[in-house]
Amino acid sequence: MDFLDLIDALQSLADGVLFGATYALLGIGFTLIFGVMHKINLSFAAASIGAAYASLLILAGVKAPPALVFLAAAGCGGVIGGLVYLIGFRFIPLANPLATLMSTVGLLLLIDEIIVHTTAGVPLNYPALFSDVIIRAGPFNLRGDLMFVFLLGCLCMVLLLMLLYRTRLGLATRAMSQQPVAAELCGISNTKVNILTFVTTGIVGGIAGAMIGAAIGMLSPLLSLPLTVKGLIVTVIGGLGSIPGAIIAGLLVGGLENLFQYWRGVSERDLYIMLLLFVFLVFRPGGLFAPATARD
Amino acid sequence: MLKKYVALAAVVGAMAALAVATPSPAQERTVKITAFGAKSGVVRVFGINSEAALKAAAEVINTAGGVTLGDGTKAKFAIEFLDDRCNAEEGISVIRRIASTDAFIAVGPTCSNVAESLFGILQKKVGDTSDTGLQFPIIADVAAKGGLAKISEWSFRNVPSEFEMYKSLFAWLKTQHPNLKTIWGGVEKDFAHSNATFGVIKQQAEVNGFQILGQSEWLLADTTFSTQVREMKRANPEIVAISAHPFTTCGVLKEMERQGVKPKLLIGLTSSSSIETLQGCAKQAEGIIIPTSFAPVTPEAAKAAELVAKFGGSADLHSAAAYEIMFILKDVIEKQKIMARPDTVAADRVKMREGLAALKETNGLLGKIGRTADREAIKPFLYVHAKDGKWQVLFKPSS
Repeated sequence: MDFLDLIDALQSLADGVLFGATYALLGIGFTLIFGVMHKINLSFAAASIGAAYASLLILAGVKAPPALVFLAAAGCGGVIGGLVYLIGFRFIPLANPLATLMSTVGLLLLIDEIIVHTTAGVPLNYPALFSDVIIRAGPFNLRGDLMFVFLLGCLCMVLLLMLLYRTRLGLATRAMSQQPVAAELCGISNTKVNILTFVTTGIVGGIAGAMIGAAIGMLSPLLSLPLTVKGLIVTVIGGLGSIPGAIIAGLLVGGLENLFQYWRGVSERDLYIMLLLFVFLVFRPGGLFAPATARD
Repeated sequence: MLKKYVALAAVVGAMAALAVATPSPAQERTVKITAFGAKSGVVRVFGINSEAALKAAAEVINTAGGVTLGDGTKAKFAIEFLDDRCNAEEGISVIRRIASTDAFIAVGPTCSNVAESLFGILQKKVGDTSDTGLQFPIIADVAAKGGLAKISEWSFRNVPSEFEMYKSLFAWLKTQHPNLKTIWGGVEKDFAHSNATFGVIKQQAEVNGFQILGQSEWLLADTTFSTQVREMKRANPEIVAISAHPFTTCGVLKEMERQGVKPKLLIGLTSSSSIETLQGCAKQAEGIIIPTSFAPVTPEAAKAAELVAKFGGSADLHSAAAYEIMFILKDVIEKQKIMARPDTVAADRVKMREGLAALKETNGLLGKIGRTADREAIKPFLYVHAKDGKWQVLFKPSS
């Protein structure tokens, strides 16, 4: 490996880690719902992309600044999150784990088809902030828009952690996550916490969808399925239910994905990421930061 | 008063009886043409465009009097479009469903992987009694992967030959840009069409004396292209040839802009000469040269583009093929004296196949279309380039 190869490898890693912030946000969405309801919401990534699409459609014809589009995506994400709960969870027997799993698969396909039928599957331009900013440090380049995505992703994670650990809603969410029966006996409404969790993760998802659109510069319904897979990988590697784990795993998967792309090419890249997943499932099934085991 | 009502009722009754007894004018016949392709999923736009083009052409034919059937009666075309979701299994299921009706031809599909699979269930050789494959003619409008029609003698295509297009393009580039020698390729590796066409691009570039420095690869749903574009940047090619569909073509072009990769010439995949590319990245795609078999450069083509838009589609090299197919079908129906009746279905299918196989030349929107013994089309084409956010004709080889 010569000097230029080393630079390229490091640059690939840096780009991947920055883009990995979007995977981290997706991972947080998956993990938060799992943490509270012990259910996997497979429609989360599709809903995130759907929220980004919805922000474009709502502001179609208006020359809205990118920040307003991102805010609209977050708002749409919250609404879609609430709808996902009502359609896919509220009236489904929660005792049967397969029932909600299948309902969210159905929602994933439904959201995808709604996007396709609304846009005919045509890729749409998505605005970005700081897309013309390139930070050059010697042979390295850091994309301004990716840096923004990374920082916004980090900010979202901090805000989410504050919400969970500094507010009454967070306290109720954690209580419901750890001891649902005891929490209900203390007067915490199960349905209310669940729907607020879905709305909150929906907002995070909407921001993730907007950040993905901004980082690529476009939206396509092609994104839903690969991002669902990435979100699940991040959730498993980070540890089901662990927010710090989802953050670290998102950045790790983003970085390694680009590094494997650089070293082994596109045909092998995903193979190594899947191998990494199996390694975790076999040797560390609880993930990087497995949450503390419930007391009973 | 009562008498008045009785008289009125009698008059009404008599008129009704007269209406029933009077022979009505001959009922107008309808020939339903069933097409199929992707109407859902990420390639839905192809299905929308094909359906619009078929309906537009049917309207032109119907307005001019319709099609003359074998018994001398006139019939109007009606179009039905079924969704195969760009999925091989669904494509096979759709074609079996169509073949179980009175249809004597089907038009489609959109995707090459579907065409490859469903042409495979057709009888390979006509008259081979040991082959129980489906005996039903299909003519493809979009599926562009090279050489698919030779799979069965019941399969036909009206798609342009990408081999001929890129052969001509590189020969032309050699004369127009003699100082440009090096090429870097970019290919969407997991899509049959783009992957196969990249092979053609590479081969024709080398045949014409260009040097391929290397290639970057990505997948249809990839989100980052920084590593691939850095490979490109290090090679510092004079020409970059991208064989990918609009979503990743735009992703790569945007990344090239970020990294300051400015080749002297950009070449794209035929399917990217569509409105989607310009919607996604008009600024970055400025100057990209793509060979295509459609542009509204003749009065017929301009009219077709207008009509297709009226039916909610966009005319491009794929939907233009669908438009032309309707006129080909009209000619074959009239020449082969197809009856289009439920009791003549088997005979009509054979006549349609024979009629299509016998074609040596058909009319196209850009001029005459030749037919090969392998049931493929040799279509006229031209080169377009993206200029000021529009596709503009750069050169017409036959002119």
